[in-house]
Amino acid sequence: MNKCYDCNICTSADKPLEEFIAGLPMETAFHRVESQSTKCGFGLQGVCCRLCANGPCRITPDSQRGICGADADTIVIRNFLRAVAAGSGCYIHVVENAARNLKDTAISGGALKGLGALDRLSQKLGIFEDDPHKKALLVAEAVLADLYKPEYETMDITKKIAYDPRYHKWEELGILPGGAKSEVFKAIVKCSTNLNSDPVDMLLDCLRLGISTGIYGLTLTNLLNDIMLGEPQLRMAPVGLHVIDPDYINVMITGHQHSIFVDLQERLISPEVIKMAQDAGAKGFKLIGCTCVGQDLQLRGAHYTEIFDGHAGNNFVSEAVLATGAIDAVLSEFNCTLPGIEPICDELLIAQICLDDVAKKANAQLINFVYEDRERISNEIINQLISSYSTRRGSVPINLLPEHGNTNTLTGVSEVTLKAFLGDTWQPLIDLIVAGEIKGVAGVLGCSNLVSGGHDVLTVELTKELIARDIIVLTAGCSSGGLENVGLMTPEAAQFAGPKLRAVCEQLGIPPVLNFGPCLAIGRLELVATELAEAIGIDIPQLPLVLSAPQWLEEQALADGAFGLALGLPVHLGLPPFVTGSSIAVKVLTEDMKALTGGQIVINPDAKESAQLLEEIINEKRAALSI
Amino acid sequence: MKHVIIGTGAAGISAAKTIRILNSNDEIVMLSADSIINSRSMLHKYISGERDSASLRFVSADFFDANNISWLTRKVTSIDTASKQVLTDAEPISYDRLLIATGANSSTPPIGALQTAVNVFGLRHFTDAESIKRASERAEKFVIIGAGLVGLDAAYALIEQGKRDITIVEMGDRILPVNLDPQAAASYQDLFEKMGCKFLLGARVTDTVTSGDVVTGISLESGEILDCDLVIVATGTRPAIEFLADSNIAFERAITVDENLRTSVPDVYAAGDVTGLSGIWPNAVNQGEIAGRNMCGDNAVYEDSFAMKNTINFFGLLTLSVGKTVPEEDDVVLIREDRRNYKKLILTGDTISGVILQGDISQSGFWQHMVKNKISIAGKNPWKLSYADFYSTKENGEFAWKTG
Amino acid sequence: MKRIIIKEEECDGCKNCSLACMQAHRTNSGTLYDLNLTDLANESRNFILAVDSGYAPLFCRHCDEPECVRACISGAMTKDPESGIVSYDEEVCAKCFMCVMSCSFGILKPDRATSQKVVKCDFCAQDGYDPSCVKSCPKKAILIEEVTA
Repeated sequence: MNKCYDCNICTSADKPLEEFIAGLPMETAFHRVESQSTKCGFGLQGVCCRLCANGPCRITPDSQRGICGADADTIVIRNFLRAVAAGSGCYIHVVENAARNLKDTAISGGALKGLGALDRLSQKLGIFEDDPHKKALLVAEAVLADLYKPEYETMDITKKIAYDPRYHKWEELGILPGGAKSEVFKAIVKCSTNLNSDPVDMLLDCLRLGISTGIYGLTLTNLLNDIMLGEPQLRMAPVGLHVIDPDYINVMITGHQHSIFVDLQERLISPEVIKMAQDAGAKGFKLIGCTCVGQDLQLRGAHYTEIFDGHAGNNFVSEAVLATGAIDAVLSEFNCTLPGIEPICDELLIAQICLDDVAKKANAQLINFVYEDRERISNEIINQLISSYSTRRGSVPINLLPEHGNTNTLTGVSEVTLKAFLGDTWQPLIDLIVAGEIKGVAGVLGCSNLVSGGHDVLTVELTKELIARDIIVLTAGCSSGGLENVGLMTPEAAQFAGPKLRAVCEQLGIPPVLNFGPCLAIGRLELVATELAEAIGIDIPQLPLVLSAPQWLEEQALADGAFGLALGLPVHLGLPPFVTGSSIAVKVLTEDMKALTGGQIVINPDAKESAQLLEEIINEKRAALSI
Repeated sequence: MKHVIIGTGAAGISAAKTIRILNSNDEIVMLSADSIINSRSMLHKYISGERDSASLRFVSADFFDANNISWLTRKVTSIDTASKQVLTDAEPISYDRLLIATGANSSTPPIGALQTAVNVFGLRHFTDAESIKRASERAEKFVIIGAGLVGLDAAYALIEQGKRDITIVEMGDRILPVNLDPQAAASYQDLFEKMGCKFLLGARVTDTVTSGDVVTGISLESGEILDCDLVIVATGTRPAIEFLADSNIAFERAITVDENLRTSVPDVYAAGDVTGLSGIWPNAVNQGEIAGRNMCGDNAVYEDSFAMKNTINFFGLLTLSVGKTVPEEDDVVLIREDRRNYKKLILTGDTISGVILQGDISQSGFWQHMVKNKISIAGKNPWKLSYADFYSTKENGEFAWKTG
Repeated sequence: MKRIIIKEEECDGCKNCSLACMQAHRTNSGTLYDLNLTDLANESRNFILAVDSGYAPLFCRHCDEPECVRACISGAMTKDPESGIVSYDEEVCAKCFMCVMSCSFGILKPDRATSQKVVKCDFCAQDGYDPSCVKSCPKKAILIEEVTA
């Protein structure tokens, strides 16, 4: 017997991490997989309806309709629309806060670290103004104005950001979104009790939510954050649990709203605050990246070398990060903040502070971020950090994993830095694709879950399969965290690529897997796709480009997926969303969508088979372009 | 110990199985007149061509070898209880314990030439089925006397053969009068009529028209004469005890047995239809088990004699019938009908005394237990009943009934 | 013999056992995700009924003295003396459904799609006598135990 909580844990593509978690004396998500391995089949198929007091109704061969008369299609697609609407709501909340923070920053004359980004976006939006703060204010207000439009008024910026042929396709399909918040509202109404029962009508709503999510929640959030927080810059950065230095007061950040940390980041490196840390016995403060907000910070890490030591891991690594004992506080502002961190924080005396009540954890202190109060809030947080450090250090065991991760992960890849790297033109990449040196592009996106073979297992295996087929992989989301920790974003990973891609990578000194950062950066991939299509003069569905969210986890991922479909792209998923109980849903999503938008869902849990399927799609697209 | 069992039907086979389980070394000899083992409930499927003689078996082909049983095809002529011998058309066979499980024979009424003509058959033994099958090949016009289960089995088999000119004569006012109420019976009548059968209900056969030793017509009380090439008589059975005439084993219409299924003579037992206790398969099997146990020295009592139960399956229409089919005075009748089902419950006080389910009979087995054991349903909605209302488990995981 | 022991007080009525049973006995291949829940041919051999006190999980007991075997006119229903398992052979069955009538606990039923066979627990014979229902129960309300017959 030993101190391990339970050695029956789920596997991980990241073996040192798996070993570390297996040895932990506390329970993590990895430990809970086994006991939750019996899945409710009705839930898996999406045929359980709890919309009214007559329920829950479930579809079986003996009971093919709910009491109200809803059949499997109605129940499944209503549930699905609810999930997509919730996922959209999450991202729209994020862009709303980003725009509000930009607006407040502009009004208060705060720092704007990405003036280039401001210029590009204002130009796209048709905003001409010399003063950067005035310009930023107009940009923020334009975004907010769109978000707050009623559902029956089409948002303006969609047309300015989206690729023209796509915009026209959406217009033709009648799926141009009205005000993004109102769209969520309307979807929620539609799928309430005894309202909409038309599967196709509701699936079109999913696409509409996908567009508002993609253009606003994803793309614009990045661009607004770039203005406030600075633009990504290519650089090599350390990743993994080894970034945790116990000599500092360490703060793990989780969520998706980088702009909430603007003031705190600056304060934590100010001499008087560092002095406070030193008085407490630490060298200073460090933010430890975890989940997507960590990816965001890493992406812009060039601006934050002093406060940010590196990205430790993705969503399901957060418990392990805390379990090192070297983290003194968790600052969370959104998902993916697992409830599983709570008992660990309690046990290891880690302070929990939530900065946005949408992600309020049960035993965390809530300090809702308000821009005007940012200084007071930062002070309060700093006091908590110092107090936590003083209380716990010495009494809580430290259990580090110093060998985990690597120090040369390429980060800072964006639609701007990649193009700049290629010489301010996409032509070299297009040439490589045309020549077949790069067969195609795959976006490996989304989360990690623990049931697609284990943590990051399908993501890593699929990525290896894709690069071995000379398909370059671009990542965004928690998939980035998994792939970087296993080393696939280091230049040395070129050895795993097929001969042609390997040669390209070695020549350029880049890895075959390029890290765009957080899931929000799916919006950046869309910008790359748009710019590539524009440069070639084709529509997006014609590109030899596929998307995969091999280990999608959340409702947000479903909204992202809907955006992928609206863009007309093939979207691979390792596990189906909970829709397979509806033959209509399955048919529309996997087949009929091709005729609607050009997109399609491809479901396959096997890495080799999935890569094969995606390669075939890329080959078809290449053939259609006669390359 | 040497056990001799006369009869290889449900009761005989079940007794042999029981004896073999209890005593692996005892000698067992089984005698039968038929040269093949067959389930009499499936004989009509031989006529229809659904089954051949091998698939009429209800035990595995190696049953006798596997159980170390001697099986002899012998016709029993009499029993000498004094010398403990069964006399046969061949050698006499001695026994220590004897089980008579000879079942029953068709009972053909003494009307006209019914008992003598060459084209009139009962349907009770494999030889009957063989004869009908052979004769039906050249026959087009059929008359079946009796619209009980056997008569309808015969009609069903002929329909399956492609025959359509089938007239069924029944004295009662409905078909399946023992098993069903008028409404449930009418559903089957309708299905048979759709296949070309004619039913003459409340009709009585008074005579036959013959040509030589062949019946060519059946005369009815109404004066009507039904032309026919082949006649099947399904008006009832009588226990097969003709060989007991000279023995001192007591019998009336059937062999007299006590609650342990012992006859009046020591070491001689009887089980199955020959006892007249019940005419249905599961009860015959149960009697075989009881007799078998007692032949091995046990003192088991035959208790589960409830026999008012059956299932019917014609043309895919299923019916379960348990207990009364028609109410008696003071009974309450509950009926529910829908597009696929006819359900009738007869309540006597707080108990269910009769159940007819026509259509869906899924998971309906608990009704037999309810009716047979007169289980109170006080305070319960009879239409919502299921075994779940009486759910309980025994130490070994088996289900039990929690009542009261 | 082995028997599926039921702890009805643990049952939450999720019917996972029923789905597992349908999945184990489906005639085409596939996963739980694509099990057709509107196809009548997919039937569970176990049934979870709600009762006042909770749930009554109805699973074939493979009784020590099986009435279904006693009632069988064709020899389709047999109890294996070694394993205690009561098996049903569709090929041998005469479709009389006397077994349905004779099961005092109302477990047996004619198949819904055709009424031409009996739907009965086979202890997942095709899966090495390792019943899927037991494996699927999130509450461990059903488990395999050795019992004396």
